[in-house]
Amino acid sequence: MKTFIHLWKYPVLLGILTTFGLLAALTGTGLWHVLSWIAMVIPVLVCVRYGFFLEKKVRRTGN
Amino acid sequence: MTITKTSARIWFEIHKWTSLICTAFLLMLCLTGLPLIFHEEIDHLTGKEPEAKEMPANTPKMDLDAIEEIALKQYPSNVIRYMFWQKDEHPNVVLVSLADSLNAPPDVANFVSMDERTGEVLQQPRFDEGFMYVIYKLHVDMFAGIGGKLFLGLMGLLFVASIISGIMLYGPIMKKYDFGMVRAEKSTRIKWLDLHNMLGVVTLIWALVVGITGVINTTSDIVLGLWQMGQLAEMVEPYKNTAPLEGELSPIDAAVKTAQERAPDMNPSIVAYPGTIFSSQHHYAVFMRGTTPVTSKLIKPALVDARNGSLTDMRDMPWYVNMLFISQPLHFGDYGGMPLKIIWALFDVITIVILASGLYLWFARRKSAEAQMARIESMAMEMEEATA
Repeated sequence: MKTFIHLWKYPVLLGILTTFGLLAALTGTGLWHVLSWIAMVIPVLVCVRYGFFLEKKVRRTGN
Repeated sequence: MTITKTSARIWFEIHKWTSLICTAFLLMLCLTGLPLIFHEEIDHLTGKEPEAKEMPANTPKMDLDAIEEIALKQYPSNVIRYMFWQKDEHPNVVLVSLADSLNAPPDVANFVSMDERTGEVLQQPRFDEGFMYVIYKLHVDMFAGIGGKLFLGLMGLLFVASIISGIMLYGPIMKKYDFGMVRAEKSTRIKWLDLHNMLGVVTLIWALVVGITGVINTTSDIVLGLWQMGQLAEMVEPYKNTAPLEGELSPIDAAVKTAQERAPDMNPSIVAYPGTIFSSQHHYAVFMRGTTPVTSKLIKPALVDARNGSLTDMRDMPWYVNMLFISQPLHFGDYGGMPLKIIWALFDVITIVILASGLYLWFARRKSAEAQMARIESMAMEMEEATA
């Protein structure tokens, strides 16, 4: 269970943000569009953060 | 998620083969999809979008029968098959679609766009030429008709399968590492493997949604056929044995008003004339669009008798048609303003990186496997020589 949470915590969180963003713009207007942009730009920023700013050292976890 | 070594091996093979088959087509779809996200803006810049001039908000609209007459004046030998309105994108503009005959092929048509208040002809656009048309056709059916469309649907299904098998491999690979781990200091192959996994898992939901809705969109011809045989046939059941329409049709303006009276909170979106694929032999089909964010994506058909102008029936579309209509915006990304389009384009670019890196990883892995095989072979040879 610990491994599962460790593995999937961020992917699930980003998936929820994306789903929310996709539906918010579809079902709402105005503020909902803004919330949708914010929710959906986060996964893109995560890609940029981990894709372009590569860490030199790999941190292994305890398990 | 713990999976055994054998099942990891099976998921790996599924991931490899589904990806290998669909990657070339998915790359094409992503590349052609990129300009299509912005087709409205591109059409606008190239002057292909009709624009009605500013007039007071309550300027009355022209009678649609007069609109009909003006359109026919541009193409005197043609007949009118459809009228279209896009209230949000092109306010006060009506687009009339004409053809040599009612049963000319669907993609052979002449268009006249008009200001619906003054009847001024704005454009006679051609939708079957130019750069964006080529891009669009490549994306939708690769110029291969319904067969090409369904083939791309199949590639989309493989894409979805490769995403799901990719998720199954993410666990075993990342078990010992933190999220976002990219081993940059090891080999190029390891770095790109980590990038492929990270980008893939982050854009997972978007890729699944765009993939699945894309597959649904490829079924549009089938959905139309089902609707014709199902709901449309039911609605015109009483007319089954009626003789074909002859002579003058009832006025179009009155027909649209009849539909509007029945659905006062909706706006006409398409009128299909009798004898076209979107209507019966005896009716104007007036497709009404709602005004809320969701209902504006759906359309509701009203059938108006084209002989006496009376309303025959008006119904909600069946679920499979609505599913298609809801799939369209979720595939195009055009439903949340410019920022959403830009985000859509960024996701699209990331998907291109995932596809290309996947292809690279397959090459690199084959190369390293071959090198390993060669090493084993030369070691075996050496051992043989030593024992000889």
